[in-house]
Formats: sequence, structure tokens, C-alpha cells
Amino acid sequence: MSDLALEMTVNGRRVKRTVPPHQRLIDVLRDDLNLTGTKEGCGAGECGTCSVFVDGKLVKSCLMPAAKANGARIETIEGLAAPGDLTPVQKAFHKTGASQCGYCIPGMVMAATAALRANPEADLEEIKERMGGNICRCTGYTKIIEAVELARDVIAGRISADAFAEDAAVGSFIGSNVRRLDAPSKVAGRLRYAGDMVMPGMLHMQVLRSPHAHARIVSIDTSAAEVLEGVACVITAADVPGKDGFGVFVHDQPVMARGKVRYVGEAVAAVAAEDVLTARRALAQIRVVYEELPALFDAGEARKPGAPVLHDYAPDNVVKHIPIRKGDVDRGFAEADIIIEQTYQTQQVEHAYLEPEAGLAYVDHDDVVTVISPSQNITHHRHMLAKIIDRPINKVRFIMSPVGGGFGGKEDMIYQGMLALAAMKSGRPVRLVFTREESIIVTAKRHPADITYRMGLKKDGRITAISFSLLSDGGAYGLSTEGVMRKSAILSLGPYDIPNLTIDTVGVYTNNTPSGAFRTFGAMQSQFATECHLDIAAERLGLDAFEIRRINMMRDGASTHTQQVLGSVSIGRVLDVAEQASRWEHGPVGMRGPQRSDLGGDDTRAPCTLGARFRDGVGKTRQEVA
Amino acid sequence: MERRMRGRGVAASWYGIARTATIDRAGAWAELDDGGTAKIVTGVTEIGEGILTVLAQVAAEELGIRPEDVTIGDNDTARSPEAAHAGATRQTYMIGNSVALACRDARAKLDAVIAAHWGVEPGQIEAFNGEIWAEGTNLRMTMEEAVDLAKKRGVVPVGSGAFTAHGTGLDPVDGSGSPWQAYVFGCQVAEVEVDTVTGEVQVLGIWAVHDVGRAINPRGVEGQIEGGVVQGLGQALMEDYRLENGHTTTHGFAKYILPTALDMPQINTVIVEDPDPKSPLGAKGIGEPALVPTAPAIMNAIYDAVGVRITSLPATPEKVLAALAARAAAQQSVREGAQAAE
Ligand code: FES
Ligand code: FES
Repeated sequence: MSDLALEMTVNGRRVKRTVPPHQRLIDVLRDDLNLTGTKEGCGAGECGTCSVFVDGKLVKSCLMPAAKANGARIETIEGLAAPGDLTPVQKAFHKTGASQCGYCIPGMVMAATAALRANPEADLEEIKERMGGNICRCTGYTKIIEAVELARDVIAGRISADAFAEDAAVGSFIGSNVRRLDAPSKVAGRLRYAGDMVMPGMLHMQVLRSPHAHARIVSIDTSAAEVLEGVACVITAADVPGKDGFGVFVHDQPVMARGKVRYVGEAVAAVAAEDVLTARRALAQIRVVYEELPALFDAGEARKPGAPVLHDYAPDNVVKHIPIRKGDVDRGFAEADIIIEQTYQTQQVEHAYLEPEAGLAYVDHDDVVTVISPSQNITHHRHMLAKIIDRPINKVRFIMSPVGGGFGGKEDMIYQGMLALAAMKSGRPVRLVFTREESIIVTAKRHPADITYRMGLKKDGRITAISFSLLSDGGAYGLSTEGVMRKSAILSLGPYDIPNLTIDTVGVYTNNTPSGAFRTFGAMQSQFATECHLDIAAERLGLDAFEIRRINMMRDGASTHTQQVLGSVSIGRVLDVAEQASRWEHGPVGMRGPQRSDLGGDDTRAPCTLGARFRDGVGKTRQEVA
Repeated sequence: MERRMRGRGVAASWYGIARTATIDRAGAWAELDDGGTAKIVTGVTEIGEGILTVLAQVAAEELGIRPEDVTIGDNDTARSPEAAHAGATRQTYMIGNSVALACRDARAKLDAVIAAHWGVEPGQIEAFNGEIWAEGTNLRMTMEEAVDLAKKRGVVPVGSGAFTAHGTGLDPVDGSGSPWQAYVFGCQVAEVEVDTVTGEVQVLGIWAVHDVGRAINPRGVEGQIEGGVVQGLGQALMEDYRLENGHTTTHGFAKYILPTALDMPQINTVIVEDPDPKSPLGAKGIGEPALVPTAPAIMNAIYDAVGVRITSLPATPEKVLAALAARAAAQQSVREGAQAAE
């Protein structure tokens, strides 16, 4: 198919372009017009980060072929307000602190603007419903929705625009709600994340990934890919000049598969080419011969005799075992009036930051290998990359670009090594932007957990002993597993004074997607079990949920599970405040819901029933706001 | 049982601040600059939590200027001092305190010049919001004038600071050790409504109470808690990364379900402040701890509402319905057993 002539109005200016037929509207906006405020969070119509107005209608630009925009009037986030100015909706987002990482925010601002254009009097339910197609991973939506309501009221003249101004600091800036300094750049779509950055002469990288969970690589033939027009270089593990290996604790993962692949999606080779399409075509020309190996998909199987071994250094497939012992558990259980046993499972969870992994690498005039990426750990990445490419540490430079959500998922140096190698080999800047699918398949997840819990208690509710064990599937590489097992173990039994305990956490290798750092680093998994278990215990003993926690809580000067002596311990205060704030009705744990008198109230929301925007009279008025 | 049943549950939590079972460290540079502005340089950047604003508030407070006068040059291993990583709920604690120390160092240099100029003791010098004065006198000037004066005397008010948190490793046999020097505590209450026909659980309210040491920016703390709660809610009720023989079946947001604005509960945050005695700011942290108690509070609330314990996350509608059916069957057989015994 031949290229298409495209004519449209973008943010009030006439634009003429010739575009290849496969291009989507988002590609034209971002790549041709450099309007990078429109973000690609998923490319599949499922997140809303790419929202723009087409002839006044809110549209997900990742779903719209560029050809369909011919003759249309397009408005993007950059066009809502004059340069240097913000619309009321944007000002409201600034005021309420609605932007965190900011990656969803241009789309949110567009959706909010659309909601108030459709119905300037939209109520809370209708606003939520109209914003329901936009995902935010950071904010919990609360301050975003608050911002839309604030903007609505200012636009309607019910409250003064002074409401957008900074609260005055009284006597100190500590403890004052200073508006986020980075918010204007985020609400206006001006902030450039790594995937928005371009350099002259920049190449585009695409990565060939393993289709097998466990296989030996017999051979890789890149010759056909290398001679393809537009290809600058192809890299494999053979291009690593130094000591290959990265990881947060154990450096067991090569930049690209070395002799073996250990999970589906592992990088095997990468191409840097003049454009993404050429790089993709080149990937199809790379011939890899695999010999499949028996694979391990279950953490419970990993330590059994005869299980496949993933890493030679760990013949038992154990990444890390953390034991903690205190007191005498046998005596503690013997003293108990009741003993409660239960198992718990938590699942693998995806970070789902809205910004997919992206990076840009180049070798500068002083021969410094430079990588710009949303890395959560540039210090450690610099150390590891220097060894991998065998350069002095001051010849390696990491620049941390704005992070469009991390939550631990961007602590792993999962692609920066490939970018550096390709920049070194080609002598040109190289950029890689993951697709959403790639991001999900390739990067680490929250560790799943299988927990066995045994707790002994006296009739009065005092815990006499706990034995706790947790088994976790760390997946194909070590990443943060060691640290996650450690933190999970230390914090497992919660803020309680437990005289006798045994804690064991074990993370093992399997051929599943690796598990890694994820907000709480193993602590939510283990404390989930403790907090559910306490509820069961309270029911058995006829105690209130707060009461059993107070009976057992640590007090000032407590000795922790690792025998650290604490100073001030605030849990007692925290429990008191929570009980009061929630208007908690005291009573023994059980199926109390039907009898409770503390349900509902202004501090809860109404259950949601869809259809708020179809109520009578709604949506009949249409008015330009902003 | 009615179709829609409500209930409430509680869960508490604790968390350690900064890196685990090791010494943690971070460094920063500060300069009081022309016009009464400032440059702060440190080796991490914003991951969304609001750290740049927090650092600007800390610097403004310590230097006696306004947050908007602070420029933060950050995040570059070749241009800024090491601040290690952006994780482990360490940014406010580690970087915040190192910035405070760097600013105190820079201020001391400025204060010495101004005190000599006015003929007062350096200890008398105070500054806030762009003004500097000598306590107990009527001597006062703007920060812009003060910096100008210092430079005319040949002094550039620069400072550096590094903050250390002293954790110790764990004993390999019994795990004993002091992994952190600061701990935070939390408690959340959840109110849910369970639809006993569809198995769907809605979280209508969360009361989130967290000790953060000292809230530098309370709205920012709330934002962290709200985000943590909704991530916890996602894990509790819907999110589930699935694999079949190593291949994921949840490779997009159509299959991997995330909470939307329609799922969010009303979140009622109460901040408790038990300041950390071991650091200049007293602040501890909130990023990760906010998420810890949410899922168990929701599970306990489901039990309170309908009498079923979901011990395997997530509590999907299918799982809740299966548990309700099992509970009904168990009650039926108890009734039949009782009848048979009569
Ligand atoms: S909806 Fe278009 S990028 Fe997600
Ligand atoms: S602020 Fe919404 S995704 Fe980060």
C-alpha cells in the first residue's frame, strides 16, 4: 500500500503529512508532530493515556488509524491552554495533588475535560463513570476525582478561582500542603519520559524473545538480519565484553540469554535499526535453534529430588532461605489453650505502571556510555553495567528519566544493558520502548506466596507461639528475591509481641516469569496471613478485632521478632485512632455484618450501580469548558 | 441471607524504613544562589511519590527561602552525589535528611557572613520565606540581599550533607539483628458490600491510619495512602497474573484487571505523627506501608459480612460464590445431622 496524504487541524493549526498506511493517529501525533503529551500506555484501547479530541469527541488515539483523522479537528493535551497557561481542570489537578507519576495524567485531564464539556453539572457518580475508562496506577483516583469536582464548581462560579491557589504556609513549610512543583509539567503534557525523548540519528531497538520456558540455545544466526537495509547492528550475548550478569542481590541474569533461556520472554538477541518496523522485520530473520529442556513451573516441585536445575550455582533451586528463631516454640505451643492452623496463598501481581519500560543510550564525546531510563536504582545499575561492558565506572553514566510509575518494578536492569551494547556497537543513540505486552511478559512480578501458619494462644487472647513458613516462586532469575524473603520474614508476624517463634521464608527458582521488588517487598504477603489469622483467633476466643491486637501489640521498648529493642512504638495510638475514626462498634469477631450499627455514613461511598450518565436530563446540555 | 450484605474488618501493620538489614546512606549538595534561590543536587528523582516537592520544602525550610525558589538538579550518576535508589520507603527519610544536612551546612556559611556584618552572634540569625533577620534586634534583609552580600565578601554559600541509617545484618542461624533504625505502624478498617448472587465485593470505605513520623506534605502523604489502598484493593479482589506452562494468559489490561475510578472506596486517612528521634527531620515514610493492611482488612470484612473466609487471593466473584456455596452446604448438613439425631 502506498503512503497516504493526510490533512488535519491539530491544536488550531493546519497540518499536512504523508504517512504510511499502518500508522495510527497516536503515531502521527507523537512521532511526526512531536506532541508527546499523548502517551501510549497500552496500545489497545484499555488505559486511556492516549486520549485526544477528534472533532470534539474524546477518542483513544491508539485505536484510530491516522487515515481516519483526515480532515478532522484534533485537540491534544498541549492544545487545551495557551503555552504557559493552564485550564481550570489542569489547575484543579495541580491544586489537589492529582498527579503522581503523571503518566496517566494527560489522558485523565482530557477525560475530565470531556466529562465537564458533556455535562458541566456532572455529579460525583457521573464523573467517576465518565472517567472509568482511564487507568491510574498511582493515585487511587481520589485526588483526581476531587480535582474534577473542584474544576466543575469553579467553572460553574460556585466557588472562586482562588481555590486553585497555594495554601499559605503558616510559620513553616514542613507540614504544609505545598502544591507539587512538577504538577504543571505533568498536567500540561510537557514532561518528557524516556520514551518521549529523541536524539538526532537515533536508532530504534526491538528485542527477540524466548518462546520457551527452558531451553538450550544450540545456535543463533543473525547474518540475514545484519545485512537487511536499515539495520545498524544486531547484538547477542556474544557482544558482552566484560563479566555478564545483573540482579539486585545475586547477579545471575545475563544481559541476553547466554547458552540457555530460562523463561518465556527472556531476551535472546536485539536489533537496532532506522525505524521500529525495520527492526521488527530484522528480528524475523534471526534463526535461533533451541533444544527444549524439562521445565519447572511449581515452587513446591523445585526442591524435590530430580527437579530440573536452573542455575548451576544453586543445585537445590533455592535462591534464599531466611530463618528467624526466638524463644522456645515447643514450650510456647505446650502452654497454649488453643492452637490454630491455616494455610494462605497470595498471587503473582503485575506492577502495571502506566509507563512501559523505555530507555535511550548513547556514547558521548568523552566516550562515556550513557543510559537514560526510568531506573529506580541508577547507582547500582552503573556498577553492574561497568562490569558488564568492562569500562571504568566514570565512563558509565546513568541518568534517571522521570519515572512513570515504578513500585519496585523498575529496580531491575532488564534492558539497559542491551541499549548500552547497541549504542557502543553502532556508535549511534539507540532507543527502546517496550509494548505493554512486552512489559507484562518480561518484567518481574510481586512474589506469590504459599504460607503455613500455626498460632498458639491462651484463653485470654495472648499469643504464646507462632510457627510461620512461606514458600515463594522467585521465577527464572534471582532479581530481588533474597531481599524480599528477608523483609517478608522480619515483618511477617506483625507489630505484636510474640515470645516464641520460628519463621522461615524460602524463595526458589522456577521457569516462570521472575518475581522481584514490588511495593512492600514481601511484607504484604506475610502480614496478610498474620492479620487474617488474628481474625480467626479472635473469633475462636470471642474477642473484638481491636482487642486481640491490643492484647498482643508491641509496646515502647518491645523486643522485635529479630530481638531488636525498639524505642517508641506507636501501634497503640494508631489502633485507638483507627477505632475512633471508623466509628467501630465493639464486639466479638463473627458474622456481625447483619447486626452492625456502624455501617454506612458520610465516610463511605454508595455502592455503585452503572448508569449515572444516562439519568434524566443529564447530557442534554453541552458547553465548552476550559 | 439478603442479596447484598455488608461487613467490616480490621488489619494492622508495621514496616521498616529504608534499606533492610544493612547500613543505608545518601548524599546531597546545596547552594544558596543569586536572588535568594537555591540549587539542590542529589542522585535520585521523582518516581511519582512527590519527593521533589518534599525536598524543596525541606530545603526552603532549612535555607529560609520558599519552595518555589528551589531548583532540584537530580538523578545523574555523573553529575550528582550518590543517593542510592528510589525504593524501600527511603526517599523522604534518607534523601530528605541528607538535603536538610546539606542546607544547614550552606546556611552556616551564609549566617557567619551576615552575623559578622551585623555584629551579632551567628546563633541569633533566623531566616524564613525569603527573609533573614537577627533574633532580638531589628536587623533584617531579604535573602537576595544576604546572598549578594556574601558573594561580595567572597563567600559562595555551598554545603554538602550525607545521612546514614544504621541497620545491621541478621544472624544466619536465629535471624537476630536490628534491620532498621525507624519503624512505622498502621491500621486500616474496611467496609464492604458482598453481592451474594454475583459474588462481587465492593469496598465502600477504608479508614487508613498511619504513623509517618512527621508529615512534610500531608496531602502528599494522603496521596500515597490512597494509591497504596487501591493497589491493595486490586490485589485483594481482582488482579491475578496467570501462567500456563510458563506462558502468561494475562498479557494485557483486558485480561489483567486493574481497579478503576468505579472501584475506589471512600478513603478516610488519618495521619499519626510519632517523630523519629534519630534523624534531623523526624519524618519516617509511607510509600510501601500504606498497602500492607488493605487486603487482610478487606478479607476480614468479607467474613464479617457473609461468614466466609477467603484465604487465597484474590477474592474473585467465583471464589466468593464457591465459598458461599460450601458454607451453605455445610450448614445444610449440620441441619440434617441435627434432624437425624432427633
Ligand atoms: S488506550 Fe490507547 S494507549 Fe491505552
Ligand atoms: S499518576 Fe496516574 S498512573 Fe501515575
